[in-house]
Amino acid sequence: MDLSDLTRELETLRDEALAAIQASADVASLETLNVDVLGKKGRLTGVLRGIGGLPPDDRPRVGGVANVVRSAIEAALEERGVALRGAALTDRLAAETSDVTTPGRPVKRGTLHPSIQGMREIAEIFGQFGFVSYESPEIEDDLTNFQMLNIPPDHPARDLWDTLYLDVEGRLLRTHTSPGQIRVMQSTTPPIRALLPGRCFRYESIDASHASEFFQVEGLMIDEGTTMADLKGLLDQFAKAMFGADKRTRFRPGYYPFTEPSVAFDVECLVCGGSGCPACGRSGWMTILGAGMIHPVVLQYGGLDPERYQGFAFGMGPERIMMLKHGITDLRLFLDNDLRFLEQFR
Amino acid sequence: MRVPLSWLREFVDVDLSPEALAERLTLLGMEVRGLETWGADWRNVVVGELLAVERHPRADRLSLTRVDVGSGEPLDIVCGATNIAPGQRVPVALPGAILPGDRRIERTEKMGVVSNGMLCSGDELGLTTDADGILILSPGTMIGRPLAELYGDIILDVDVKPNRGDALSIVGLAREVAAVTGAPLRLPLTDVVESGRDATQRLQVEVLDPELCPRFVGRWVSGVRVGPSPDWVQMRLLAAGQRPISNVVDASNYVMVELGKPIHTFDAAAVHEGRIVVRRALAGERLETLDHVERVLDAETLVIADPVGPIAIAGVMGGAGSEVGEGTTEVIVESAIFDPVNIRRTAFRYALRSDASLRFEKGLDFRLARIGADRAARLVSEWAGGTVAPGAVDSAPFEPPPARVAYRPARIDRLIGIELRADEQRDLLARVGIEAQPAPSGTRIVVAAGSRPLIVDSGDAETWLATVPTWRRDLVVEADIAEEVIRIRGYETVPSILPRTSMPPHRHDPLEVRDAIREILVGAGLSEVVTSALVSPAMIELFAAPDDGAPAAEPDQRAAGRPISVTNPLSSQHSVLRQGLLGSLLEVVSTNLRHGRDDVAVYEIGKGYGAIDGQTTHEWWRLGFALTGSAEPTAWNRPARPYDLDDAKGVVELLCRRLGLSAPTYTPLLDDPSLHPGRTARVDAGGNLVGRVGELHPGRIERLDLRADRIIVAELAIAGLASGRLPVPHGSTPSRYPAVDRDLAVVVAGGMAAGAVADSIRRHGGELLRSVELFDVYRGRPLDETAKSLAWRLTFATEDRTLADGEVDQAMGAIAAGLATDVGGRLRA
Repeated sequence: MDLSDLTRELETLRDEALAAIQASADVASLETLNVDVLGKKGRLTGVLRGIGGLPPDDRPRVGGVANVVRSAIEAALEERGVALRGAALTDRLAAETSDVTTPGRPVKRGTLHPSIQGMREIAEIFGQFGFVSYESPEIEDDLTNFQMLNIPPDHPARDLWDTLYLDVEGRLLRTHTSPGQIRVMQSTTPPIRALLPGRCFRYESIDASHASEFFQVEGLMIDEGTTMADLKGLLDQFAKAMFGADKRTRFRPGYYPFTEPSVAFDVECLVCGGSGCPACGRSGWMTILGAGMIHPVVLQYGGLDPERYQGFAFGMGPERIMMLKHGITDLRLFLDNDLRFLEQFR
Repeated sequence: MRVPLSWLREFVDVDLSPEALAERLTLLGMEVRGLETWGADWRNVVVGELLAVERHPRADRLSLTRVDVGSGEPLDIVCGATNIAPGQRVPVALPGAILPGDRRIERTEKMGVVSNGMLCSGDELGLTTDADGILILSPGTMIGRPLAELYGDIILDVDVKPNRGDALSIVGLAREVAAVTGAPLRLPLTDVVESGRDATQRLQVEVLDPELCPRFVGRWVSGVRVGPSPDWVQMRLLAAGQRPISNVVDASNYVMVELGKPIHTFDAAAVHEGRIVVRRALAGERLETLDHVERVLDAETLVIADPVGPIAIAGVMGGAGSEVGEGTTEVIVESAIFDPVNIRRTAFRYALRSDASLRFEKGLDFRLARIGADRAARLVSEWAGGTVAPGAVDSAPFEPPPARVAYRPARIDRLIGIELRADEQRDLLARVGIEAQPAPSGTRIVVAAGSRPLIVDSGDAETWLATVPTWRRDLVVEADIAEEVIRIRGYETVPSILPRTSMPPHRHDPLEVRDAIREILVGAGLSEVVTSALVSPAMIELFAAPDDGAPAAEPDQRAAGRPISVTNPLSSQHSVLRQGLLGSLLEVVSTNLRHGRDDVAVYEIGKGYGAIDGQTTHEWWRLGFALTGSAEPTAWNRPARPYDLDDAKGVVELLCRRLGLSAPTYTPLLDDPSLHPGRTARVDAGGNLVGRVGELHPGRIERLDLRADRIIVAELAIAGLASGRLPVPHGSTPSRYPAVDRDLAVVVAGGMAAGAVADSIRRHGGELLRSVELFDVYRGRPLDETAKSLAWRLTFATEDRTLADGEVDQAMGAIAAGLATDVGGRLRA
C-alpha cells in the first residue's frame, strides 16, 4: 500500500462516514457511528495501522490527511447531533403536551376552630402591648369564682352568672375566666399584663346567642399608676386592630361586682356602620366586651395593696368577636363542628 | 325594665327624641336595649262618636250603631257589646285596619246588615284587659283622631344593673334623666285624705324578727269597691308589662313600677283580729299562695301571719285566703322592708321569683316603706273609693341618717387618669343628689368593704365627705364615688392613652406546644373541633378513660379519678365531665357523615376531668383525633385511598418529630372494648407521648350507627400539652462523605412484629447504622405459608470518612446474626 492508496482509503472512509452521519436517524445511532469510526478500535484507527508500511517521509502527510478526515467527521457528528437532539426535544415536547386547563391535584389541609382562631387573634393584638398568657383551672370553688371577686353568697349580681355545680363538695364549673385574675395576682408581682384564655360554663339555655360552654379571654393590667385612661386607650387599639382602624368605639358605664368603675365597650355596628339596624338593636353599636378598674376587694384577695397598686381587667368572648367580625349569626355553629362551617376559616 | 315614655315624663320633662334619650341613658349606665312603639299595630283605628245605637233587626244580641268618625258620612257598624250608648266616644277600627294579633278588619255583613268596621274593646287593642265592653273614651276626645296619637307611646327597655335597685322604677330613672338634663324632678303625690278610726286602732303589727323585717308599715283603707281600674291605669300597667287585675291590686303594682317599692294588699276581713305578726314560719306550716298552690313552709321562710296562721310569704307571694277580691271592702296596705338575702333565698327555694322579690333582694331605701304605703293608700282610695284611716302602723318609724362616704379627690383623679378640681367633682356629684364637702385631715377612708374591708387614715391627703342619698345603697367605698364622678361627667371624657407604665418581664407562653401541634395537624389535613366537655352518662360508660399513664415528667397529667357529674345539668346529654375525647370526636364524625361528607379528619385538644377523693378534682390535657373516608381529597387525577391505621401512625410520628421526641414504638393492644383488637396499638415515644391509636371496633360502629366502614382514632397524652416548651433543635453540619444504603430482606414468622425486627436491627447495627426503613412486606411463594419477608433499607454513614465496604459488611453480618437469635429471622437471598 502506498501513500495514494492510503489517502484514497481515508477519503472513502470520510465520505462513507459523512453519508452515514447524514443518514442517521437518532442520537443513539450517531453514538454508534462515533465509536465505529473514531473509537479506539474504530475504522479510522484501522486504516491508520497501514501507516507503518509507508516510507517515513510519507507518514506525516498521511497523518495530516487523517487529522483533516477526523475533524470533518467530528464536525459532522456534532452538527448532526445538535440537529437530532433538537428534533428529539421538539418531538418529546409535542408528545408530552397535556391539557393544562384541568384542575390540579388537591392538597389536603385542615382548619383551626374559629374559637381558637379568635383567641389567637386577641392574644396577638394584646401581645403587642406586652400581655403574656396564663391559664387557670376550669373547676373552681365558690370562693375563687365568686367571693374573692367581690360577689358574696346570695348577692343579686349572681343572677349574671347562672352556675353549674358539681357533685364534689363545694366545686363548680367556672362561669368566667375572672378567677384567674386572683391566681395571676397571687403568683406574680406588678407590673402585670396578663391574658387568661379558657373554657367557661354556665347554666344557660342554648340559643343563637347563648351557649352553656364557651370561651373567654380575660385581660389584666396592674401597676402603681395604671388608669382608666390606659384601659380606654388599650381597648381602642384592640378594636381598631380587630375590626379596622376606621371603626368608632364607645366607652360607657357597665356593672361588674369585681370592678369599680365598671365599663361596657362598644364598637360601631359592623353591619350598618352606626346608622342603626336590626343587628344592633337600632343603636348603631355592638358591645364587644366588659371591663373596669379592679375592685379594691379583689386586689386584696390577690395579695396586692390597693393603696399602692391599681389596674384594670377586661373580659371578652372570642366567639362573639368572631361572630361580629365574620358576620356569623348563630353561636351554636361554634359547637356544632359542621366541617362545612369550620372550613370557611382556613 | 319596660319604661313607657309618657309615664317617665310625668316626673321629668324630656326635650330629647326617644333615640337621643335612649343614648343618654345608655351612656349613664342605664342601658336601653330597645325602643318599642306602643300602638304601632293600631293602623286605621280612629276615635268615633256614637250617633245612634239601635237593636239589630234580626239579632237580639247585636246592636246597630251609627258612628261619626270625623270624615265622610257616618258609618253603620254592627256591635255585640252592651255598654254602649249614643254620645259616647269609642275606638273604631275602619275597614283595612289591622289589630294586634294580625286581626284584619274588613267590611262585612252580619245577619243581613252591612258593618263598616268594628267598635273595639280595650282587650282587642291590647290597651286594657276588658274584653266584654267597648272601650269608652273620655267625652272630650277629638273625633276622627287616630288612636295611636292618643295612646301611642314609646317603651324603653332598660337593663337596670343589679346594683341599682333604686333605678328599677319610673321615678328612679326619671331621677337619672334629671341628673343629666338638669330638668327638675317631680315626685308622685303621697298626701292622703284621712278620716274615720285611726289605723292603729284597727291594725296591730308585731314584728318578731326585725332582722328579717327591719320595717313594716301598714295602712288601712275602708269601704272600697273592688272592680276594674280606670282605663288609663290599665293602659299604663300593660305598657309597663304588668297585667291589670283589680283597682286595689293594680294600685300596689302601680306603686311598685312607679317607686320601685313592692306593696301587698290584704283583705282585712281575712286577717283575724286585725293582728299581723311577722315571724319565721314553723316548719311544716301550710299556706295556699295566690297561685293556688298549697305550700309547706320551712323555718327559714319569713311569713306575714295573723293569730291563726300565715297569710303571706313575706316579700314573695301573698296567700289565697287573704286575697283582695270582689267582696273585699276593707284593705290593709303592707309596705315593708325585708332582708334581701332571705328574700332571695326564699324566692329561689319556692321557685317564686317575681318583680316584687327581685326588688326586695336588691335592697330598698328604708324611707320608701312609708312613702310607698302612703302612695298606695292614696291610689287605692282614688281608684276603688273608700276612705283612708288616719295614721299608719309603723314598726320602725325612726329613719337612719343618710350614709357618708369619705374620698380623696386626688385618688379619684389617679384612678381615672384625669385632673379634676375637688369642686368640679363636688358639682358633678351634686347632680345626683350627693352632697360633698371638705373633711378634716385624718378622716378614715373606706377603700374596700364587704368580705375584705380596708379602712385607711387619710393622713395629709385632701379628703372630702360625700353624703349619699338614702336610695343610693350602692355607694359605699371611695371607688364608688370615683365611678359616680366619671359617670356623671361622661365616660366619653376619659382620655384614651397608651399605657406608660413599665412592661412585665417575658413569660413563656403556656400554649406553645398546643399551638405547635395545631399547626402540624392542620397542615396534615386535620381540622380542629371544639366539643362540649359535658357529655352524657352513656358516653362515659361507653368510652371509659383509658389509663395509658402520663408523660414521664408530668405525673399530674395522668387520667385519674371518678367521673364528675353536674348536680344541676341543663340536660342529661350534658351532665358529666368527660374523661376522654374519643366519644365526642365520634359524635363529630357522625354529624358530618350524616351531612354527606365522605371524609372526616378532625382533632381536638381538650381536657379530661376526675375527682380523686371527696374533695380533690383533677384536670388533664389530651389530644384526640379521628380519621375516616378518603385519606386525600378525591380528585380525577388520583385514585381514592381510604384512611387506615398507618395514616394515624404517620400523624403520630410527625408529631414526635416536631416535638423533638424519639420515634414512637407500637405494641399490640387487645383489650380496649372500643377498638379493633387486631388493629390497635399502644404508642409510646420515650415516655413523652403515650396513648393509643387504633381502628374503631366494628361493633362500636354498628352500635353508634356510624355511617363509615372504618374509623381510625387516637388519644394521646403528650408532654408539654399543659404548659410545656418546644425543643430547640441542634443544627449539625451534614456529612461531606456519602452514606451507604444496603437492602436487607428478613424472613420471619407471619406473627412476628415488624417493630421487634426493627429493634433487633438497631440493636446490632452498630454506631454506623443511621436509619432503618421498612420498604416492603411480602407473603407468598416461594415463602412458607406461615412466613413473611420484611424488606428494609439500612443507611450507614459516618461524619469523618468514606465508609469502606468491609465496615458495612461487618455491620450487616452482626445484624444478620442478631436477627437469627432475636426474632428467628433468616436473610432472604
